[in-house]
Formats: sequence, C-alpha cells, structure tokens
Amino acid sequence: MGSDVFEISVNFIKLVAIFLLMVQLVPLLVWVERRGSAYIQNRFGPNRVGPLGLTQLLADAVKFLFKEEFIPGEGRRLIFLLAPVVALIPGALAFGSIPLSAPIQVEAFQWLGQTWGPYNFPFQSFQFDIGIVFVLGVSSLAAYALLMAGYGSENKYSLFGALRASAQMISYELALGLSLVGILLIYGTFDFAEMVTLQEGPLTLMLFGTEYTLSFLPNWGIFYQPLGFVILFAALFAETNRLPFDLPEAEAELVAGYHTEYGGLKMNMFYIGEYGHMLVASGLISTFYLGGYNLPFVTVDQIREFFVQSQGFTLTNASLAASFLLHLVFMAKVFLLLWIFIWVRWTLPRFRYDQLMDLGWKTMLPWALGNTIVTAVFILWMRSV
Amino acid sequence: MLTTDAVLSVGLNHYLFLSALLFSVGMMTVLLRRNLIVMLMGIELMLNAVNLSFVAFSHYTQNLNGQIMVFFVMTVAAAEAGVGLALAVNVFKKFKEINIQQFEKLKG
Amino acid sequence: MGPGEHHCHSGVYSLDAIGIGVDMQEAILFYILGSLAVVCSLGVLLSKNPVSSALYLALTMVGLSFVFVGLDAFFIGMVQLAVYAGAVMVLIVMVVMLFDLKKEEDSFSPGFFGNGLKVILGGFMVGAIASVIAYSTEMILSAPKITQAEPVDMSVKALARLLFTDYVVAFEILGVLLLLVAIGAVALSRIPGGTHADD
Repeated sequence: MGSDVFEISVNFIKLVAIFLLMVQLVPLLVWVERRGSAYIQNRFGPNRVGPLGLTQLLADAVKFLFKEEFIPGEGRRLIFLLAPVVALIPGALAFGSIPLSAPIQVEAFQWLGQTWGPYNFPFQSFQFDIGIVFVLGVSSLAAYALLMAGYGSENKYSLFGALRASAQMISYELALGLSLVGILLIYGTFDFAEMVTLQEGPLTLMLFGTEYTLSFLPNWGIFYQPLGFVILFAALFAETNRLPFDLPEAEAELVAGYHTEYGGLKMNMFYIGEYGHMLVASGLISTFYLGGYNLPFVTVDQIREFFVQSQGFTLTNASLAASFLLHLVFMAKVFLLLWIFIWVRWTLPRFRYDQLMDLGWKTMLPWALGNTIVTAVFILWMRSV
Repeated sequence: MLTTDAVLSVGLNHYLFLSALLFSVGMMTVLLRRNLIVMLMGIELMLNAVNLSFVAFSHYTQNLNGQIMVFFVMTVAAAEAGVGLALAVNVFKKFKEINIQQFEKLKG
Repeated sequence: MGPGEHHCHSGVYSLDAIGIGVDMQEAILFYILGSLAVVCSLGVLLSKNPVSSALYLALTMVGLSFVFVGLDAFFIGMVQLAVYAGAVMVLIVMVVMLFDLKKEEDSFSPGFFGNGLKVILGGFMVGAIASVIAYSTEMILSAPKITQAEPVDMSVKALARLLFTDYVVAFEILGVLLLLVAIGAVALSRIPGGTHADD
C-alpha cells in the first residue's frame, strides 16, 4: 500500500473514495435514464421532486428503506439474502482497477517537521500489471448473483430467468475476451495505465516499416481496431444485461426475471450492481478505444508543462490540476458512452433467446477470431518490413 | 514442532499441507457422497489442490514450469467437467435419478 | 524456510511502515484464505443441498485464486478466477439447478463402519503426505540447482514465451482436446434433427 504512513493513508482514502464515487454516480445515472427515456418517448419524466426531479432518487431510496422485508422460500434464506451482495462485488472491484485520470506526482514537502518524499499516486484504487485479466476474471463472477437470486426466490419464472441470463453471460464473455485480443496485440501490455499512456498525442502509424503521423486524428485505439470496438461494444451490452440483450429482466415476459421477488433495499443493490457494471463497461471502452483520460492531440506532460509555465503553479499543483482536468475529460467520455447505453435501451427491441445465442456464438465469435488473425498478420507485416 | 516461528513465517510446507488437506476433503467427497454431481465436484476439488501445490513449488523454486503445468491441468479439468456434466444430464434424462445407489444393479 | 532470497515482492504493497513486515503479511493472507478454502471445502462435503455444495465449491475456488495471487502467480490466479470460478462452476451450478433436486435425506453412503473406515483411511493419507512433506522439503529446496543467485523472470511475458516455445506442441494438442470435448458434449446431448426439428 505504500512505503510510509502518508502514502498508506492516502491510498486507503483513495480506495474508499473511488468506491463511493461509483455508488454515488448510480442515482445520477438512474435520473438520466428516467428523464432521457421520457424525452425519447415524448413524455415527461420525474420532474416534481426537487429541481428537475433530481431528488426523486433520494425519495425512492428513503421509501425503499421503510418497505417490509419478506423472504420467500425459507429453506433458501441465506442464498436469497446473499445474492444482492454478490451482485455488487464484481462491479466495485473492476471499477477500482480502471485509471480515472493521470497519476498525481507529489514533490517532496515538509510537514510536521518531517520530509515526506516524492510520491506517485495512480488515480485508481489498485494497480496491477495484469489489469484486463483481473477485470475479465472478476466480472465473470457476476453470473453467480443471477443464479443465486433466481434459485433463492423459489419461483419457477425467476429460475428460468436466471438460467437464461447466466447462459447468456458466459457466452458473451467469450466474445468479449476475443474481441480484446486484437487491441492487446497492438498495445502489447495488459496494464491499463500503460495502455492509456500509449494513446497520447496524434495518430502514429507504422506502414511497411516507416512511421507516418496523421496529425488530424488522435492516437486512439478506435482508429486501429474499428471492428474490435464494435464487437466489444455489443458484447458489453450483453454482459451488463442491457437491452437489446435484456431477456433476463424481460418485463412482460418473466415479470422481472431473476429479481422478481426482491423489494426494498435489496432491489436497490441489484440496481447499483447493474449500473456499476455499466460504468465499468464504459470505463473499459474508453480506456481501450477512446484514449482513456487523454485529451486529444496533447500528451499529459504537455498539460503539466502548460500549467507550470503559463500559470506558475508548483509541480505538485500542476500535477493536481492536470489530473483534475483529465478526470473531467474521462468522465465526459464515460457519460457519452452511458448516454449511448441508455439511448439504445429505449430504441431497439429485445432479441429472442435463440437469436441472442446465435449472435453470440455464430456471428461475434468468428468475427472476433478473424479480427485477431488479421491484426496479427498486419502487425507482423507492417512492423518488420 | 509448533514453534511461533514455524507458524508465523509461512514456507513451502504450509502450502503443501493446505493442498494435502484440500485433496483429502475432495477424496472424501467422492467416497462418501452419493450424488453424481457432488462426486464430480469432489474431483474438481482434488484437481484444484494439485494446482495449488504446483503453484507453491513454482514460487519457492523460482521455476515457471509449475505454472505451465497449472495451465494444462486447468484446461483438462474444465474439459473433463464439461463431458462429465453432459453424461450426468443424459443419465438424469433417462433414469430421473442421479443417486448412484440406484445404478448398482446393472439393469436398464 | 526456503533459500535466502526467494521473495520477489516489490515492496510497493508492503505495510512495513506500520509494523507489518512482508513475512507477516504473507502469513496473514495465507491463514485467512487457507482457512476460508478449507472451511468451504468441508461445506462441499457436508452440505445436504447440492446447490449449496456447488456454491461452496465456487467460493473455495475464489479463495484458492487469491492464494495464487498471494504466491505472486497473478496471471494464473486470474485465469483460475475466470475459468474455474467463472465458467466451470457456473456450468455445474446451472446443471444442478436444472435438475431441481429436493434436499436429500440420504445424501451420504449408508453404513456407519464403512464411512468410518473411509474417514480414518483419509486421515492416514493426510498424515502420510504431511510427514513426507516435512521430511523432504529441506532436501528439495537445498538442491544445488535451486539455490542459484540470479533472479528468474517470473512475469506474464516469460510465462507466455515459455508456453509458446517450449510447450507449443502440448498447447496445440490442448486446443484439439477442447475441440473434441465440444463435439463430444454436443453429440451426447443433442436432439436428433437439431433444436428446430419440430418447428
């Protein structure tokens, strides 16, 4: 966690703060979803409670707290009660490993009569050099929340919903993993922070051994792997159980699918889990393909230099200001992607179950494999000739 | 034998002992339970215990071949679990029972 | 313990400053995760409901995955999480839920003496393995090949390089094996004529 008390405590506070960030973004997202869907459907959303209906979610949360708690199926009580907890864990763990902004570099400073040395705090809860494998491993645990919820409800329809949902999730995990192999071949690393650093500045291509710089395009992953972007985007829709892959929660088919029997705060925890997954999905897409926290065409060092020279900040303050600015850039990209998630939900109809499985196994898997092969051949050819 | 130092500083022995414990629990599961699927789970537990001892050896002798072995064991175990489950589903479809005591009589 | 410098902890994650050294950290991690794994595996053995057994096994595998991370095998730990806990166990849990078995009254084999004999023999086996471990680890770890001074690269890149150069034949055979298993599973569970046969 760190080499002295200051670093350990800052890292600990960062861990808690990033988790709370994820939990606090969820009511905002639900508000955007309700107002945005109303706008798409040409009606008003919640607009009475608070300004623009912003505190509607607070009122809902208070209402949930006072609801009666009932547990169907007394024989499976523990499984029923644990399912919402298991729904939260993968999203929270995965969100912690995505870099939300540039690392903050703190110079040596004097405090309480002691010199605290120069530090480098990455703007994420924890940093591994196997970033993406960790996220893939942890998000595959989300299938258990569905299964436990469906089984613990002692309700045939919930069980059906849960089984279909988990079959869908494990099918699309495969397409997800394969669509990432192409872009990982280009970056050559699993670590998110390195990947974002590699996407700085303008587009630099290696064509037949010489380097070209197209300065009107940023160096983002989407220009290297457009097909990978499309497949990843679609597979992440399926992973987060959002429409058009919405069969697990198909309203009007299975009542509410695997979380039919849940009410009150447990239902809220499922929602936090689902929107947390959406946040992780948006974070992943923007880290791999949209340049992460990078502002287009400039590198992080150039931003820090700008702050030092033109505004006269100290190095620590310049780093803090640069990280703050880049965090806003990252959040803007994430919100754009989240708006696209919400927009698609209220536009497209739902897939039938066999169409869904056909799409996952017969369409996405071969295209992702083809993408991998073509990428590998290209890299070998372009970088060696 | 149980000096503070032996307990507090964890060495290869500790991981191997954990692996032996898990292996024996897996073996007991296969021997004592009568449900076909639970016996399959016991086999998976034994394979996991073996994976643990491979990784422990790989760490303490600084040799990567242990981790390669884990790769292969994991893949073969997953394949075997798939086929075993397909067989169990077929057995259930035909006999409506997966209690192995019902299959002792070489009938049907 | 082992030869002198086998710890390759980078020190970034050490809590040295508040008095918990690297050894103590490893011990805490090992004991917590190890007891979680043992308790959950006993849950697999002893629980009457097969779904509970399956969920306990999934938790054991998650615990083992973090033990692997504690042993600095990050990639293998995450692969264990993704493959075993995330795919194989989900498959087993799905199959058990599909069967929809009630809680079994007679889930254990009958016969007290038969069971007792099996448990005692199991205990003997653990004892035998433990004593073999205790006597032979010193011999293994102080073999001259092992106590070399140069640090070995144990990163994911080295693992991948080893997999694709020394073990590439086995790797390809593994791919063929998985293909065979997929074909076999489909052949075992297909409906003659395909899924849309009576549409």
